Amino acid sequence: MSNRWDLPDLGIGVGLRTVHFGHILSQHPPVDWFEVLSENFLNTGGRPLHVLDQVVERYPVALHGVSLSIGSTDALDLGYLKELKALADRTRARWVSDHLCWTGVLGRNTHDLLPMPYTEEALRHTVARVREVSERLERPLVLENPSSYVEFAASTLTEWEFLARLAEEADCGLLLDVNNVYVSAFNHGFDPREYIAGIPADRVVQYHVAGHTNKGTHILDTHSDHALPEVWELYRLAWARTGPTATLYEWDEDIPPFEVVHAEARKALVHREALVATR
Amino acid sequence: MQSVVVHPGEVDEALRGAEAEVPAGRVGEVVLPSKTLTAAERVGIYQAMYPLRMAEALLADYPALAHYLGDEGFRDLVQGYVQAFPSRTYTLNSLGEHLPEYVKTARGVRRPEFCHDLARLELAVSEVFDAPETPPLSEHAIASVSPEAWEHAVLAPVEAFRLLAFRYPVNAYLQTVKDDDHDHPKARLKDTWVAVYRRDYAVYRLELSRAAHDLLADLTVGRPLGTALTRAVAGGGRRAPTEQELFRWFREWVSGGVFRSVTLP
Repeated sequence: MSNRWDLPDLGIGVGLRTVHFGHILSQHPPVDWFEVLSENFLNTGGRPLHVLDQVVERYPVALHGVSLSIGSTDALDLGYLKELKALADRTRARWVSDHLCWTGVLGRNTHDLLPMPYTEEALRHTVARVREVSERLERPLVLENPSSYVEFAASTLTEWEFLARLAEEADCGLLLDVNNVYVSAFNHGFDPREYIAGIPADRVVQYHVAGHTNKGTHILDTHSDHALPEVWELYRLAWARTGPTATLYEWDEDIPPFEVVHAEARKALVHREALVATR
Repeated sequence: MQSVVVHPGEVDEALRGAEAEVPAGRVGEVVLPSKTLTAAERVGIYQAMYPLRMAEALLADYPALAHYLGDEGFRDLVQGYVQAFPSRTYTLNSLGEHLPEYVKTARGVRRPEFCHDLARLELAVSEVFDAPETPPLSEHAIASVSPEAWEHAVLAPVEAFRLLAFRYPVNAYLQTVKDDDHDHPKARLKDTWVAVYRRDYAVYRLELSRAAHDLLADLTVGRPLGTALTRAVAGGGRRAPTEQELFRWFREWVSGGVFRSVTLP
Protein backbone atom coordinates (compact mmCIF):
# COMPACT_ATOMS: atom_id res chain seq x y z
CA MET A 1 0.00 0.00 0.00
CA SER A 2 1.20 3.50 -0.66
CA ASN A 3 -0.27 6.71 0.71
CA ARG A 4 -3.30 8.13 -1.03
CA TRP A 5 -1.38 10.99 -2.62
CA ASP A 6 1.30 8.67 -3.99
CA LEU A 7 3.89 10.76 -2.22
CA PRO A 8 7.16 8.90 -2.71
CA ASP A 9 8.94 6.57 -0.31
CA LEU A 10 12.08 8.69 -0.08
CA GLY A 11 13.96 5.90 1.71
CA ILE A 12 16.04 6.43 4.83
CA GLY A 13 16.74 10.02 5.84
CA VAL A 14 18.23 11.99 8.67
CA GLY A 15 17.57 15.47 10.01
CA LEU A 16 19.69 18.26 8.57
CA ARG A 17 21.57 19.69 11.56
CA THR A 18 24.06 22.56 11.78
CA VAL A 19 26.81 20.43 13.32
CA HIS A 20 26.79 18.24 10.21
CA PHE A 21 26.81 21.02 7.58
CA GLY A 22 30.54 20.76 6.91
CA HIS A 23 30.47 16.97 6.60
CA ILE A 24 27.46 16.95 4.29
CA LEU A 25 28.84 19.60 1.95
CA SER A 26 32.32 18.10 1.75
CA GLN A 27 31.56 14.36 1.83
CA HIS A 28 28.13 14.18 0.15
CA PRO A 29 27.17 11.14 2.27
CA PRO A 30 24.92 8.55 0.58
CA VAL A 31 21.81 9.42 2.57
CA ASP A 32 18.50 9.11 0.72
CA TRP A 33 16.95 12.38 1.89
CA PHE A 34 17.01 15.10 4.54
CA GLU A 35 14.33 16.46 6.80
CA VAL A 36 14.72 20.20 7.29
CA LEU A 37 13.52 22.04 10.42
CA SER A 38 11.55 24.82 8.75
CA GLU A 39 12.03 27.50 11.40
CA ASN A 40 15.82 27.22 11.20
CA PHE A 41 15.70 28.48 7.63
CA LEU A 42 13.01 31.15 7.85
CA ASN A 43 13.83 34.74 8.70
CA THR A 44 17.49 34.28 7.82
CA GLY A 45 19.58 35.11 4.80
CA GLY A 46 22.82 33.78 6.18
CA ARG A 47 24.84 30.59 6.01
CA PRO A 48 22.02 28.16 6.92
CA LEU A 49 20.01 29.11 3.84
CA HIS A 50 23.14 29.05 1.70
CA VAL A 51 23.88 25.52 2.92
CA LEU A 52 20.29 24.43 2.37
CA ASP A 53 20.37 25.65 -1.22
CA GLN A 54 23.36 23.38 -1.82
CA VAL A 55 21.76 20.43 -0.03
CA VAL A 56 18.60 20.58 -2.15
CA GLU A 57 20.71 20.44 -5.29
CA ARG A 58 21.77 16.90 -4.32
CA TYR A 59 19.10 15.49 -2.05
CA PRO A 60 15.31 15.42 -1.77
CA VAL A 61 14.04 17.22 1.32
CA ALA A 62 10.84 17.49 3.34
CA LEU A 63 10.09 20.39 5.67
CA HIS A 64 9.25 19.74 9.30
CA GLY A 65 8.02 22.58 11.51
CA VAL A 66 7.42 23.23 15.19
CA SER A 67 5.57 26.56 15.15
CA LEU A 68 2.35 25.98 13.23
CA SER A 69 0.39 25.65 16.50
CA ILE A 70 -2.47 23.97 14.69
CA GLY A 71 -4.40 23.32 17.89
CA SER A 72 -4.20 26.86 19.28
CA THR A 73 -7.19 29.14 19.62
CA ASP A 74 -5.09 32.04 18.36
CA ALA A 75 -5.52 32.96 14.70
CA LEU A 76 -3.18 31.20 12.28
CA ASP A 77 0.01 33.17 11.68
CA LEU A 78 -0.47 34.04 8.01
CA GLY A 79 2.96 35.64 7.75
CA TYR A 80 4.55 32.43 8.94
CA LEU A 81 2.51 30.39 6.45
CA LYS A 82 3.55 32.67 3.61
CA GLU A 83 7.24 32.30 4.50
CA LEU A 84 6.79 28.55 4.95
CA LYS A 85 5.24 28.18 1.50
CA ALA A 86 8.07 30.20 -0.03
CA LEU A 87 10.62 27.93 1.66
CA ALA A 88 8.75 24.82 0.51
CA ASP A 89 8.75 26.13 -3.07
CA ARG A 90 12.41 27.16 -2.92
CA THR A 91 13.52 23.74 -1.63
CA ARG A 92 11.07 21.73 -3.75
CA ALA A 93 10.01 20.11 -0.48
CA ARG A 94 8.25 16.82 -1.09
CA TRP A 95 5.86 17.66 1.77
CA VAL A 96 5.47 19.95 4.77
CA SER A 97 4.80 18.57 8.24
CA ASP A 98 4.24 19.86 11.76
CA HIS A 99 2.77 18.51 14.99
CA LEU A 100 -0.69 17.93 16.40
CA CYS A 101 -0.28 20.36 19.28
CA TRP A 102 -0.44 24.00 20.30
CA THR A 103 2.58 26.12 21.13
CA GLY A 104 0.92 29.10 22.78
CA VAL A 105 -2.11 31.36 23.11
CA LEU A 106 -2.78 35.08 23.52
CA GLY A 107 0.07 35.88 21.16
CA ARG A 108 2.71 34.15 23.24
CA ASN A 109 4.86 31.27 22.00
CA THR A 110 6.20 28.79 24.57
CA HIS A 111 8.09 26.97 21.79
CA ASP A 112 6.90 23.70 23.29
CA LEU A 113 4.64 21.14 21.66
CA LEU A 114 1.78 21.29 24.14
CA PRO A 115 -0.87 18.56 24.15
CA MET A 116 -4.49 19.05 23.15
CA PRO A 117 -7.67 17.71 24.69
CA TYR A 118 -9.12 15.15 22.29
CA THR A 119 -12.73 16.28 22.09
CA GLU A 120 -15.27 16.73 19.30
CA GLU A 121 -14.97 20.51 19.68
CA ALA A 122 -11.17 20.38 19.38
CA LEU A 123 -11.52 18.10 16.37
CA ARG A 124 -13.84 20.50 14.53
CA HIS A 125 -11.54 23.40 15.37
CA THR A 126 -8.44 21.58 14.14
CA VAL A 127 -10.06 20.21 10.97
CA ALA A 128 -10.96 23.74 9.86
CA ARG A 129 -7.44 25.00 10.52
CA VAL A 130 -5.75 22.09 8.75
CA ARG A 131 -7.88 22.70 5.68
CA GLU A 132 -6.94 26.37 5.67
CA VAL A 133 -3.24 25.61 6.09
CA SER A 134 -3.30 23.04 3.26
CA GLU A 135 -4.98 25.59 1.02
CA ARG A 136 -2.44 28.28 1.82
CA LEU A 137 0.51 25.92 1.39
CA GLU A 138 -1.06 24.53 -1.80
CA ARG A 139 -0.23 20.99 -0.68
CA PRO A 140 -1.65 18.60 1.90
CA LEU A 141 -0.39 19.27 5.38
CA VAL A 142 1.21 16.30 7.15
CA LEU A 143 0.74 16.13 10.94
CA GLU A 144 2.85 14.23 13.44
CA ASN A 145 1.52 12.50 16.54
CA PRO A 146 3.13 14.26 19.51
CA SER A 147 4.74 12.76 22.58
CA SER A 148 3.00 14.04 25.69
CA TYR A 149 3.20 14.06 29.45
CA VAL A 150 -0.36 15.01 30.39
CA GLU A 151 -3.82 13.77 29.44
CA PHE A 152 -6.92 15.91 29.78
CA ALA A 153 -9.96 14.74 31.72
CA ALA A 154 -12.15 16.33 29.05
CA SER A 155 -10.88 14.03 26.27
CA THR A 156 -13.56 11.79 24.80
CA LEU A 157 -11.41 10.32 22.02
CA THR A 158 -8.10 8.48 22.14
CA GLU A 159 -5.21 10.19 20.38
CA TRP A 160 -5.27 7.65 17.54
CA GLU A 161 -9.04 8.07 17.11
CA PHE A 162 -8.56 11.84 17.00
CA LEU A 163 -5.75 11.56 14.45
CA ALA A 164 -7.68 9.13 12.27
CA ARG A 165 -10.75 11.34 12.15
CA LEU A 166 -8.68 14.48 11.68
CA ALA A 167 -6.83 12.92 8.74
CA GLU A 168 -10.07 11.86 7.08
CA GLU A 169 -12.11 14.99 7.75
CA ALA A 170 -9.34 17.48 6.97
CA ASP A 171 -7.81 15.32 4.21
CA CYS A 172 -4.30 15.56 5.62
CA GLY A 173 -1.34 13.21 5.80
CA LEU A 174 0.20 11.71 8.90
CA LEU A 175 3.77 11.55 10.08
CA LEU A 176 3.81 8.56 12.40
CA ASP A 177 6.48 8.93 15.07
CA VAL A 178 6.81 5.47 16.57
CA ASN A 179 9.03 6.75 19.37
CA ASN A 180 6.32 9.23 20.34
CA VAL A 181 3.81 6.39 20.39
CA TYR A 182 6.12 4.46 22.71
CA VAL A 183 6.75 7.50 24.96
CA SER A 184 3.08 8.44 25.27
CA ALA A 185 2.05 4.80 25.77
CA PHE A 186 4.45 4.59 28.74
CA ASN A 187 3.35 7.96 30.13
CA HIS A 188 -0.38 7.36 29.75
CA GLY A 189 -0.58 3.60 30.09
CA PHE A 190 -2.14 2.62 26.77
CA ASP A 191 -1.18 -0.25 24.46
CA PRO A 192 1.06 1.12 21.66
CA ARG A 193 -0.01 -1.75 19.38
CA GLU A 194 -3.60 -0.62 19.63
CA TYR A 195 -2.44 2.89 18.65
CA ILE A 196 -0.57 1.60 15.59
CA ALA A 197 -3.57 -0.52 14.56
CA GLY A 198 -5.86 2.52 14.82
CA ILE A 199 -3.89 4.74 12.45
CA PRO A 200 -5.25 4.89 8.87
CA ALA A 201 -2.36 3.32 6.94
CA ASP A 202 -3.07 5.08 3.66
CA ARG A 203 -2.63 8.46 5.35
CA VAL A 204 0.90 7.78 6.60
CA VAL A 205 3.41 9.69 4.48
CA GLN A 206 6.45 9.49 6.73
CA TYR A 207 7.87 7.81 9.83
CA HIS A 208 10.00 9.20 12.62
CA VAL A 209 12.19 6.99 14.78
CA ALA A 210 14.21 8.36 17.72
CA GLY A 211 15.68 7.68 21.12
CA HIS A 212 14.31 8.91 24.44
CA THR A 213 15.19 9.25 28.13
CA ASN A 214 13.46 7.09 30.71
CA LYS A 215 13.19 8.95 34.02
CA GLY A 216 11.54 6.03 35.80
CA THR A 217 8.25 7.74 36.52
CA HIS A 218 7.90 8.98 32.96
CA ILE A 219 9.73 9.07 29.62
CA LEU A 220 11.02 12.28 28.04
CA ASP A 221 11.14 12.54 24.26
CA THR A 222 14.71 13.82 24.10
CA HIS A 223 15.94 12.56 20.68
CA SER A 224 19.26 12.04 22.42
CA ASP A 225 20.12 8.41 21.91
CA HIS A 226 19.78 5.21 19.92
CA ALA A 227 16.24 3.86 19.62
CA LEU A 228 15.24 0.93 21.82
CA PRO A 229 14.40 -2.43 20.19
CA GLU A 230 10.81 -1.92 21.40
CA VAL A 231 10.58 1.28 19.33
CA TRP A 232 11.95 -0.50 16.26
CA GLU A 233 9.36 -3.22 16.86
CA LEU A 234 6.62 -0.59 16.65
CA TYR A 235 8.17 0.65 13.41
CA ARG A 236 8.10 -2.88 12.04
CA LEU A 237 4.49 -3.32 13.09
CA ALA A 238 3.42 -0.06 11.47
CA TRP A 239 5.48 -0.62 8.32
CA ALA A 240 3.75 -3.98 7.84
CA ARG A 241 0.51 -2.00 7.52
CA THR A 242 1.68 0.93 5.43
CA GLY A 243 4.31 -0.64 3.18
CA PRO A 244 7.28 1.35 1.86
CA THR A 245 7.19 4.77 3.48
CA ALA A 246 9.84 7.47 3.94
CA THR A 247 11.62 7.03 7.27
CA LEU A 248 13.70 9.49 9.22
CA TYR A 249 15.88 9.16 12.30
CA GLU A 250 15.79 12.15 14.68
CA TRP A 251 18.80 13.00 16.86
CA ASP A 252 18.69 16.47 18.42
CA GLU A 253 20.61 16.40 21.71
CA ASP A 254 24.22 15.35 22.19
CA ILE A 255 24.34 14.90 18.43
CA PRO A 256 27.07 12.42 17.43
CA PRO A 257 29.04 12.46 14.14
CA PHE A 258 26.96 12.18 10.99
CA GLU A 259 27.99 8.57 10.35
CA VAL A 260 26.59 7.49 13.73
CA VAL A 261 23.21 9.11 13.07
CA HIS A 262 23.11 7.73 9.55
CA ALA A 263 24.01 4.22 10.77
CA GLU A 264 21.21 4.39 13.32
CA ALA A 265 18.79 5.49 10.61
CA ARG A 266 19.88 2.64 8.38
CA LYS A 267 18.76 0.13 11.00
CA ALA A 268 15.34 0.75 9.50
CA LEU A 269 16.54 -1.10 6.39
CA VAL A 270 16.80 -4.35 8.32
CA HIS A 271 13.14 -4.15 9.26
CA ARG A 272 12.04 -2.98 5.83
CA GLU A 273 13.95 -5.72 4.02
CA ALA A 274 12.62 -8.39 6.36
CA LEU A 275 9.09 -7.24 5.69
CA VAL A 276 9.60 -7.06 1.94
CA ALA A 277 10.96 -10.63 2.02
CA THR A 278 7.81 -11.90 3.72
CA ARG A 279 5.44 -10.17 1.31
CA MET B 1 -2.04 25.59 31.19
CA GLN B 2 0.17 28.18 29.50
CA SER B 3 0.20 30.43 32.56
CA VAL B 4 1.51 27.49 34.60
CA VAL B 5 4.08 26.44 32.01
CA VAL B 6 5.66 29.91 31.82
CA HIS B 7 5.48 30.64 35.55
CA PRO B 8 8.98 31.33 36.94
CA GLY B 9 8.42 29.70 40.37
CA GLU B 10 7.35 26.28 41.62
CA VAL B 11 4.50 24.53 39.83
CA ASP B 12 2.32 24.50 42.95
CA GLU B 13 2.83 28.24 43.27
CA ALA B 14 1.87 28.66 39.61
CA LEU B 15 -1.27 26.60 40.13
CA ARG B 16 -2.22 28.80 43.09
CA GLY B 17 -1.58 31.94 41.05
CA ALA B 18 -4.36 34.19 39.88
CA GLU B 19 -3.68 33.49 36.21
CA ALA B 20 -4.31 29.75 36.45
CA GLU B 21 -7.99 29.25 35.79
CA VAL B 22 -8.13 26.09 37.86
CA PRO B 23 -7.45 26.15 41.61
CA ALA B 24 -4.45 24.07 42.66
CA GLY B 25 -6.57 21.57 44.55
CA ARG B 26 -8.75 20.92 41.52
CA VAL B 27 -6.10 20.51 38.82
CA GLY B 28 -6.97 16.80 38.78
CA GLU B 29 -10.34 17.74 37.32
CA VAL B 30 -8.59 19.04 34.21
CA VAL B 31 -5.44 16.91 33.93
CA LEU B 32 -5.47 13.23 34.76
CA PRO B 33 -2.82 11.72 37.06
CA SER B 34 -0.75 8.79 35.80
CA LYS B 35 0.15 5.66 37.73
CA THR B 36 3.36 7.32 38.87
CA LEU B 37 2.76 11.09 38.79
CA THR B 38 0.11 13.44 40.15
CA ALA B 39 -1.65 15.81 37.77
CA ALA B 40 0.47 18.70 39.06
CA GLU B 41 3.69 16.73 38.60
CA ARG B 42 2.74 15.98 35.01
CA VAL B 43 2.10 19.66 34.22
CA GLY B 44 5.36 20.35 36.05
CA ILE B 45 7.29 18.45 33.36
CA TYR B 46 6.35 21.14 30.83
CA GLN B 47 6.94 23.90 33.37
CA ALA B 48 10.44 22.63 34.13
CA MET B 49 11.39 22.48 30.45
CA TYR B 50 10.30 26.03 29.59
CA PRO B 51 13.15 27.96 31.28
CA LEU B 52 15.71 25.45 30.01
CA ARG B 53 14.52 25.97 26.45
CA MET B 54 14.59 29.76 26.78
CA ALA B 55 18.06 29.70 28.36
CA GLU B 56 19.38 27.40 25.64
CA ALA B 57 18.11 29.74 22.93
CA LEU B 58 19.59 32.84 24.57
CA LEU B 59 22.86 31.11 25.39
CA ALA B 60 23.32 30.43 21.67
CA ASP B 61 23.11 34.18 20.96
CA TYR B 62 24.82 35.51 24.09
CA PRO B 63 27.66 33.12 25.03
CA ALA B 64 29.99 35.88 26.29
CA LEU B 65 27.31 37.55 28.39
CA ALA B 66 26.45 34.14 29.87
CA HIS B 67 30.13 33.56 30.58
CA TYR B 68 30.46 36.92 32.31
CA LEU B 69 27.38 36.46 34.48
CA GLY B 70 28.03 32.80 35.32
CA ASP B 71 25.45 29.99 35.27
CA GLU B 72 23.32 31.31 38.12
CA GLY B 73 23.49 34.94 37.05
CA PHE B 74 22.56 34.11 33.46
CA ARG B 75 19.74 31.82 34.57
CA ASP B 76 18.30 34.59 36.73
CA LEU B 77 18.65 37.09 33.89
CA VAL B 78 16.85 34.77 31.46
CA GLN B 79 14.06 34.09 33.92
CA GLY B 80 13.34 37.78 34.36
CA TYR B 81 13.85 38.56 30.68
CA VAL B 82 11.36 36.04 29.30
CA GLN B 83 8.75 37.33 31.73
CA ALA B 84 9.35 40.88 30.47
CA PHE B 85 9.83 39.97 26.81
CA PRO B 86 8.18 36.60 26.12
CA SER B 87 8.51 35.17 22.62
CA ARG B 88 5.70 36.38 20.40
CA THR B 89 6.92 35.07 17.07
CA TYR B 90 7.32 31.68 15.45
CA THR B 91 11.08 31.78 15.76
CA LEU B 92 13.41 31.69 18.74
CA ASN B 93 15.92 33.59 16.59
CA SER B 94 14.44 36.89 17.69
CA LEU B 95 13.90 35.98 21.35
CA GLY B 96 16.97 37.93 22.47
CA GLU B 97 16.43 41.13 20.51
CA HIS B 98 15.51 43.14 23.65
CA LEU B 99 18.18 41.67 25.91
CA PRO B 100 20.68 44.57 25.55
CA GLU B 101 18.12 47.09 26.79
CA TYR B 102 16.80 44.71 29.45
CA VAL B 103 20.18 43.88 30.96
CA LYS B 104 20.93 47.56 31.46
CA THR B 105 18.25 47.91 34.12
CA ALA B 106 17.72 44.32 35.26
CA ARG B 107 17.93 43.77 39.01
CA GLY B 108 20.91 41.90 40.38
CA VAL B 109 23.11 42.22 37.29
CA ARG B 110 26.70 43.21 38.11
CA ARG B 111 28.25 45.90 35.93
CA PRO B 112 25.05 46.46 33.91
CA GLU B 113 26.67 49.03 31.59
CA PHE B 114 29.37 46.54 30.62
CA CYS B 115 26.74 43.82 30.14
CA HIS B 116 24.71 46.21 27.99
CA ASP B 117 27.67 46.83 25.68
CA LEU B 118 28.55 43.14 25.55
CA ALA B 119 24.95 42.21 24.71
CA ARG B 120 24.82 44.90 21.99
CA LEU B 121 27.89 43.38 20.37
CA GLU B 122 26.52 39.84 20.54
CA LEU B 123 23.15 40.97 19.16
CA ALA B 124 24.96 42.66 16.26
CA VAL B 125 26.80 39.40 15.54
CA SER B 126 23.46 37.52 15.44
CA GLU B 127 21.86 40.15 13.21
CA VAL B 128 24.78 40.08 10.80
CA PHE B 129 24.72 36.27 10.73
CA ASP B 130 21.05 36.29 9.67
CA ALA B 131 21.01 39.39 7.45
CA PRO B 132 20.06 39.01 3.79
CA GLU B 133 22.98 38.27 1.50
CA THR B 134 24.00 41.20 -0.69
CA PRO B 135 26.96 40.83 -3.03
CA PRO B 136 29.90 43.09 -2.13
CA LEU B 137 31.26 45.77 -4.40
CA SER B 138 33.08 44.18 -7.32
CA GLU B 139 36.49 45.18 -8.63
CA HIS B 140 34.76 45.99 -11.93
CA ALA B 141 32.41 48.46 -10.20
CA ILE B 142 35.34 50.14 -8.48
CA ALA B 143 37.38 50.32 -11.68
CA SER B 144 34.46 51.86 -13.55
CA VAL B 145 34.56 55.01 -11.38
CA SER B 146 36.89 57.62 -12.81
CA PRO B 147 39.44 59.14 -10.36
CA GLU B 148 37.82 62.58 -10.46
CA ALA B 149 34.36 61.13 -9.76
CA TRP B 150 35.31 59.53 -6.45
CA GLU B 151 34.94 62.79 -4.57
CA HIS B 152 31.17 62.71 -5.08
CA ALA B 153 30.78 58.93 -4.87
CA VAL B 154 28.44 57.54 -2.22
CA LEU B 155 29.24 54.10 -0.84
CA ALA B 156 26.53 51.86 0.63
CA PRO B 157 27.31 49.02 3.06
CA VAL B 158 26.12 45.46 2.62
CA GLU B 159 23.04 44.46 4.60
CA ALA B 160 25.18 42.27 6.85
CA PHE B 161 27.00 45.18 8.43
CA ARG B 162 26.79 46.89 11.83
CA LEU B 163 28.97 49.71 13.18
CA LEU B 164 29.16 50.06 16.94
CA ALA B 165 30.74 52.31 19.58
CA PHE B 166 31.23 51.01 23.12
CA ARG B 167 32.32 52.37 26.49
CA TYR B 168 33.94 49.04 27.42
CA PRO B 169 36.41 46.66 25.68
CA VAL B 170 33.68 44.12 24.92
CA ASN B 171 35.09 42.89 21.62
CA ALA B 172 38.27 41.84 23.40
CA TYR B 173 36.17 40.16 26.07
CA LEU B 174 34.13 38.26 23.48
CA GLN B 175 37.32 37.10 21.77
CA THR B 176 38.75 35.68 25.01
CA VAL B 177 35.53 33.73 25.53
CA LYS B 178 35.68 32.37 21.97
CA ASP B 179 39.34 31.44 22.45
CA ASP B 180 38.61 29.82 25.83
CA ASP B 181 41.23 32.21 27.17
CA HIS B 182 40.68 32.91 30.86
CA ASP B 183 42.69 36.14 30.79
CA HIS B 184 39.64 38.34 30.18
CA PRO B 185 39.98 42.12 29.95
CA LYS B 186 38.58 43.91 32.98
CA ALA B 187 35.14 45.47 32.74
CA ARG B 188 36.65 48.92 33.08
CA LEU B 189 35.70 52.02 31.10
CA LYS B 190 37.56 52.20 27.81
CA ASP B 191 36.07 53.55 24.58
CA THR B 192 36.18 50.99 21.74
CA TRP B 193 34.77 50.80 18.21
CA VAL B 194 33.88 47.73 16.18
CA ALA B 195 32.55 46.94 12.72
CA VAL B 196 30.69 43.62 12.42
CA TYR B 197 30.22 42.34 8.89
CA ARG B 198 29.83 39.15 6.89
CA ARG B 199 31.82 37.96 3.94
CA ASP B 200 31.27 34.60 2.21
CA TYR B 201 28.77 33.74 4.98
CA ALA B 202 31.37 34.12 7.75
CA VAL B 203 30.94 36.87 10.37
CA TYR B 204 33.93 39.11 11.17
CA ARG B 205 34.52 41.67 13.91
CA LEU B 206 36.95 44.45 13.08
CA GLU B 207 38.31 46.68 15.86
CA LEU B 208 38.52 50.28 14.68
CA SER B 209 40.16 53.47 15.87
CA ARG B 210 37.87 56.38 16.70
CA ALA B 211 38.83 58.12 13.45
CA ALA B 212 38.19 55.02 11.33
CA HIS B 213 34.84 54.51 13.05
CA ASP B 214 33.78 58.11 12.39
CA LEU B 215 34.80 57.93 8.75
CA LEU B 216 32.96 54.66 8.25
CA ALA B 217 29.93 56.11 10.03
CA ASP B 218 29.93 59.11 7.68
CA LEU B 219 30.15 56.83 4.65
CA THR B 220 27.45 54.43 5.78
CA VAL B 221 24.95 57.23 6.38
CA GLY B 222 25.46 58.34 2.78
CA ARG B 223 27.96 61.18 2.94
CA PRO B 224 29.94 61.54 -0.32
CA LEU B 225 33.48 60.22 -0.09
CA GLY B 226 35.03 63.68 -0.50
CA THR B 227 32.96 65.15 2.33
CA ALA B 228 33.66 62.20 4.61
CA LEU B 229 37.40 62.40 3.96
CA THR B 230 37.45 66.16 4.55
CA ARG B 231 35.73 65.64 7.90
CA ALA B 232 38.16 62.81 8.77
CA VAL B 233 41.24 64.85 7.92
CA ALA B 234 39.88 67.84 9.89
CA GLY B 235 40.07 65.47 12.85
CA GLY B 236 37.53 67.22 15.08
CA GLY B 237 40.25 68.20 17.51
CA ARG B 238 41.95 64.81 17.38
CA ARG B 239 44.97 63.65 15.41
CA ALA B 240 44.05 63.47 11.75
CA PRO B 241 44.59 60.10 10.02
CA THR B 242 47.56 59.91 7.69
CA GLU B 243 47.21 59.17 4.00
CA GLN B 244 48.69 55.70 4.60
CA GLU B 245 46.13 55.01 7.29
CA LEU B 246 43.27 56.07 5.02
CA PHE B 247 44.53 53.78 2.21
CA ARG B 248 44.91 50.88 4.62
CA TRP B 249 41.40 51.33 6.00
CA PHE B 250 39.79 51.47 2.57
CA ARG B 251 41.75 48.46 1.38
CA GLU B 252 40.60 46.55 4.45
CA TRP B 253 36.96 47.59 4.11
CA VAL B 254 36.70 46.94 0.38
CA SER B 255 38.51 43.60 0.50
CA GLY B 256 36.39 42.66 3.52
CA GLY B 257 33.24 43.20 1.50
CA VAL B 258 31.86 46.00 3.67
CA PHE B 259 30.42 47.94 0.72
CA ARG B 260 27.87 46.73 -1.77
CA SER B 261 27.55 49.65 -4.15
CA VAL B 262 28.99 52.93 -5.27
CA THR B 263 26.63 55.59 -6.57
CA LEU B 264 27.59 58.66 -8.52
CA PRO B 265 25.43 61.81 -8.64
